[in-house]
Amino acid sequence: MKKISVIIALLLTLAMIITGCGGGPNSGQNQNQGQKSSAAPTKNDVAVYGIHIEPMVFWDPSDSYSNEIIVLQNVYETLLRYDPANDKFIPVLAESYTKSSDGLTWTFKIRKGVKFHTGTELSAQVVKASIERTINRGKGAAFIWSPVKEIKTPDDSTVEFDLSYPAPLDIIASSSYGAYIFDAKTLDEKGEDWLKQGNDVGSGPYAIKQWKNGDSLLLAKFTDYWQGWNGKHVENVLFKVVPESSTARQMLESGQLDFVGYSLPVEDIEAMKNNPKLEIVDKPSFQNLIAFYNTKKAPLNNELVRKAINYAIPYDNIIQYVKGGYAVKSSGPIPKGMWGHRDDLAVYDYNLDKARELLKQAGYGNGGLKLLITVNSGDESERKVAELMKAELSKIGVDLEIQIMPWDAQWALAKSNDPKQRQDIFVMYWWPDVCDPYSWMKSLFYSEKEIVFNMSYFEDSEYDRLVDEAHTQAGIDRNKAAKIYGDAEKILVDKAAAAFLYDQKNVWAKSASLKGFADNPAYPGVVFFYDTYKE
Amino acid sequence: MIAFKETAEKNMNKKAGYYIYLLKKSPLTTAGLIIIGILVALAIFAPLIAPYPQDAAGITHVSEKLLPPGASHLFGTDELGRDMFSRVIYGTRISLGVGTLVVCLSLAIGVPLGLAAGYAGGIIDEVIMRITDIFLSFPPMLLAIVIATFLGRNLTNAMIAIAISWWPWYTRLIRSEAISLKQRPFIEAAKAMGTSRFKIMFRHILINSWSPIIVQASMDFGSVILTSAALSFLGLGAQPPQPEWGLMLNTSRNYFLTAPWYSVFPGIFMFITVLAFNFVGDGLREFMDPKLRRL
Repeated sequence: MKKISVIIALLLTLAMIITGCGGGPNSGQNQNQGQKSSAAPTKNDVAVYGIHIEPMVFWDPSDSYSNEIIVLQNVYETLLRYDPANDKFIPVLAESYTKSSDGLTWTFKIRKGVKFHTGTELSAQVVKASIERTINRGKGAAFIWSPVKEIKTPDDSTVEFDLSYPAPLDIIASSSYGAYIFDAKTLDEKGEDWLKQGNDVGSGPYAIKQWKNGDSLLLAKFTDYWQGWNGKHVENVLFKVVPESSTARQMLESGQLDFVGYSLPVEDIEAMKNNPKLEIVDKPSFQNLIAFYNTKKAPLNNELVRKAINYAIPYDNIIQYVKGGYAVKSSGPIPKGMWGHRDDLAVYDYNLDKARELLKQAGYGNGGLKLLITVNSGDESERKVAELMKAELSKIGVDLEIQIMPWDAQWALAKSNDPKQRQDIFVMYWWPDVCDPYSWMKSLFYSEKEIVFNMSYFEDSEYDRLVDEAHTQAGIDRNKAAKIYGDAEKILVDKAAAAFLYDQKNVWAKSASLKGFADNPAYPGVVFFYDTYKE
Repeated sequence: MIAFKETAEKNMNKKAGYYIYLLKKSPLTTAGLIIIGILVALAIFAPLIAPYPQDAAGITHVSEKLLPPGASHLFGTDELGRDMFSRVIYGTRISLGVGTLVVCLSLAIGVPLGLAAGYAGGIIDEVIMRITDIFLSFPPMLLAIVIATFLGRNLTNAMIAIAISWWPWYTRLIRSEAISLKQRPFIEAAKAMGTSRFKIMFRHILINSWSPIIVQASMDFGSVILTSAALSFLGLGAQPPQPEWGLMLNTSRNYFLTAPWYSVFPGIFMFITVLAFNFVGDGLREFMDPKLRRL
C-alpha cells in the first residue's frame, strides 16, 4: 500500500510539473463583455491591488467562499450592503425592504433599469433564480439562506421571502458570501468552465477581462453600470499576486501598487507610516484569532488542562509585539464591534502560577505533557503566537510541538477520522460569512456530526439550544438575541473550549493617491473600487 | 619485530609529511579544513560559546525584538527577541549533524547495493541499476520534497527524504569501481583461494575503492546541508523554534527591509559551510587522482 501511495505521489508530482509549466492555457480572455479602456491613460485608468495568494479559488458566485471575495464584490452585487459601523443597510439591487412584525415575511422592492454584464435585465424572477440556484447547489455559504421556506415574485419588481422561522434576512441578503444576485440562466447555459475562462454574470461596476492564473486578474469598467460613470471612479482594476511582503512594500513605495490587501509585518507598517506618499489605514475588523483545543483527545479533554493553558498564554505580549498594538484581547468569540459582543466575560489572563496549580489538580504536576499545535503556513502572526505559547508552556512543563502546514493539510489533519490522530491545538482566524454572531457561534462550536469548522470538536446540548434560540430571536428582537448569545459564550469561556486570542484591526497600506477608500469590516479585504478614484 | 615497527612509524611520518606537503600546495583545501574545524568546534562547544543557549531552545524575549547587532547581541535579535548569535551557533550543530547523518545513511544504503551490483553482475546488476535509474530520473530536490511531504514535516523525516534521494549516486560510483576491480589479478587470486564472496566484496573491493567515495561524500556534505536548509525553508524540514539556518532564512524574509542583519548571518554561515566542504572535496579529489595532482 505504501509503495502505491509513493508511486501515486510521484505521478502527481509529474502532473504538477507538466501543468504548472503551462500557465498559458489557464488564462482566459474575455471576448464579449470587457470594455476597452480608453487609449490615452489617465490617472484613474488602473488601480492595482496586491494580494499574497491567487485570489480566484471559486468562480461560481453561488459557491464563492474564499479569497475571490476581493474580486467578486466588485463584479457581483447583493440586494443590500451592510454598514456595521452605523448598523445601517445600504440599498444596492433592492430599493427598499419591509419585514412583517413576526419576522417571518420579508418583502424587497427590486431596482429597475439594472443590466447584467450579459445584457440581461434585473427582475424579481432573476433574483429568485439566483438565490434558488445558490440554495440548491448547497455549496459555500449557501447555508445562510436556510431560514428561507419559499421565495415568491408577486410582480416583476417585488420579491417576497417566506421564512420557516424568524431570522435577520437583511443581514443574510447583505452577506459577503452566498448572497450575490447574478444572471443564473446564462450561467447555467454556459457552464462553470466558461466562468473560469475569465467571464462573469454579474451586475457590478466592473467585468472580468483577463485572468492569468497565479499572476494577475484584470477588471474593466462596465459602461452600462446602473449607477453610471459620472464623477470620479477608477476605471480598471488589476489584482496582482505578490507573495513576498517585502516586495509588496517596495512596489507600494515605488507606486506599482495602490493597495496591499494583506497585513504587512508591523515592523514594515511602522516604517511606512512616515512616508507621505503612503497611507496606513487601521480600522477594527471582525476577524479574530482563535486557538481551538481538541476536547475529544487526552489530555485536552480535561477541562483543567485546557484552563491551565489558557492561563499560560501571554495575551498582552502577543498583542503588543506580534500585532504591534493593532489588536485587542478577545472577550469570547464574538469580536468587538459586532452586535452581541460582551466585554464582561470572565476571560483568562496570563498567570503561570494559576496554570501550574490547575495542571497539578489535573494530575500533571510533574509536567511531561506533549501537545501538537498546527498553524497555517505563510501567516507570521500565527507562527509567532505558537512560538510564544511554546516558550511559556515550557515553563509549566508542557512541551508544545509546532507544525506549520498549508491550510489544506492543516484542515485535513483536523478532520482525520480518528480523533486521536488529530492535533491538540488548532490555530485559525475566523471572519464572518454572515455579519452576525451566528457565524462564530454556529460554525465554530455547534455540535457537528461531520467536522467542518468545529475545530474544538465541542459538543454541548445546552450551548446548541442557546445558539438556536438566539438565532431565531435575532429576526425579531436583536437585544434579546444578544443576551442569549452572551449566555452561550459564557459556556465556551467556562469550559475553555478554545483560547480566544485577539480581535484584530485591519491595517491596510495604500498609496495616498488612491482616494475614497472606506474599510468595511463586513467585507474583509474588499476595496469597493467604484467608490475610489486616483489623484 | 622492533625494526618492523620502526619502519611502519617511519612510513607514517613520511605519509603525514607528504600530506602536509600536499596541503601547503593547496591553500584552498587548507582553508576549507580550517573552517570545517572551526565549525565542528562551534557545534561541539555550542552550549559554552553561545551567550544565550536558552534562546536556541525557543525561549522568547519579545520586548527585545529585532535589535541590531551590538555588544550584547553580536548578531542582533530575531522577531521574538532571541539572540541570533546563539541561534546561528546552535544551527551549526543541526546542519553538521544533518550532513553527517544523511551522508552516512546514503552510504549505508548505496554502498552495499553498488557492491552487489558491480560484483555479481547479471540480473542483480540490472535490477539494482534500473532502480537507481528510477530514483535518478527525478531531480533530488523534487524527490526529497515529495518524500518529506508524505512522511510528515520534521527534521528527521527531511533527513530520511534526502538520504533516499541521494543513495543512488553512491551505488553507481561503487558499482563502476567494483566492475573494474573484479577483473584485477588480486581478486582473481582471492577467488582462487576460495575467499567468500562477501569477504571479497567488503575486504578487497570496498577497501580499494574508498577514495572516490570519500571525495564524493565530502563534496555531497555541502549539497546535503543546502538541501536540508531548502527543505526547512519550504517548511518541510525543521519546525520552529528549531534554530535551523534555512528556517531562519525563511522567517527573516519578512523582516528583510527593517532588519537586514537577520537574514545575513544564517546566510553567511550556510555559504561558508558549503564553500568549505567544496574546497575540501576538490582538494581531496586532486590528492587522490594522480592525474589531477598538479605537483
